[in-house]
Amino acid sequence: MSRRLLTREAEGETGIDLSPMIDCIFILLIFFIVTTVFVEEPGVEILKPGVRLDAELERNSIIVAVTAENKVVYGGKELSVAGVGARVRQLLNRDDLPVIIQADARADHGVFSDVWSEVKNAGAKKISLSTRSGQG
Amino acid sequence: MARRSILAEDETVGIDMSPMIDCIFILLIFFIVTTVFVDEQGIQVDKPDAAATAMNEEADDIAIEITENNQILLDDTEVPLQQVAERVRAKLGDATSLTIRAHSKSKHGVFTSVWDAARSGGAHLLSFSTVD
Repeated sequence: MSRRLLTREAEGETGIDLSPMIDCIFILLIFFIVTTVFVEEPGVEILKPGVRLDAELERNSIIVAVTAENKVVYGGKELSVAGVGARVRQLLNRDDLPVIIQADARADHGVFSDVWSEVKNAGAKKISLSTRSGQG
Repeated sequence: MARRSILAEDETVGIDMSPMIDCIFILLIFFIVTTVFVDEQGIQVDKPDAAATAMNEEADDIAIEITENNQILLDDTEVPLQQVAERVRAKLGDATSLTIRAHSKSKHGVFTSVWDAARSGGAHLLSFSTVD
């Protein structure tokens, strides 16, 4: 009797129970859907200035970079200062996001100031500058 | 024969999960690949609009100057960066507004440090202007 049961079980349904795996994958999927933000990263090397008082910035933002060579970069492409204004205005029309300016500590203040003005004139409500915390 | 096969099918009633799992896998891989974990630290930089800034400057408020050679000047005397916070605190008294006048060729890092120091010195209404 017991042998018969064994053989029947072995021959009948040979399959792995997939439900726990599906549960796991669903949880992973939901985690990634919830945490995903589509941000265009500048993709350039920036040495951020160190400060003591800074705060966590919003994840979903428009990031504009100013490199040590005073080049203005958005989404991996180099733009002119005026071009940044136009680009940011275009993006803000679609979605009202905060703007983060990632300026290199060795960049000229004048370039940062110009970018700031352009972004401000483009209608950005919240402009932050990116820093590295912990250093005075 | 045909009836028997219908009966045999009845024994294993279940939805075929494999296409769904395939779809979910593809979605999962898409989201894993596109996810970037943006973790930005920073300070909000805002200043009053141009008209208000002009009025402030007439009203002789406290200003820190950053020269072309990245020297920090408060009342035309050079102040080392470590002392900016306490000097600002001493000078501000009850006021909270302060302007940083930075030369356009000065380094952005110095400007940020001065901004940070002024803020920790109690200046909450910060603004900046750029001189050539």
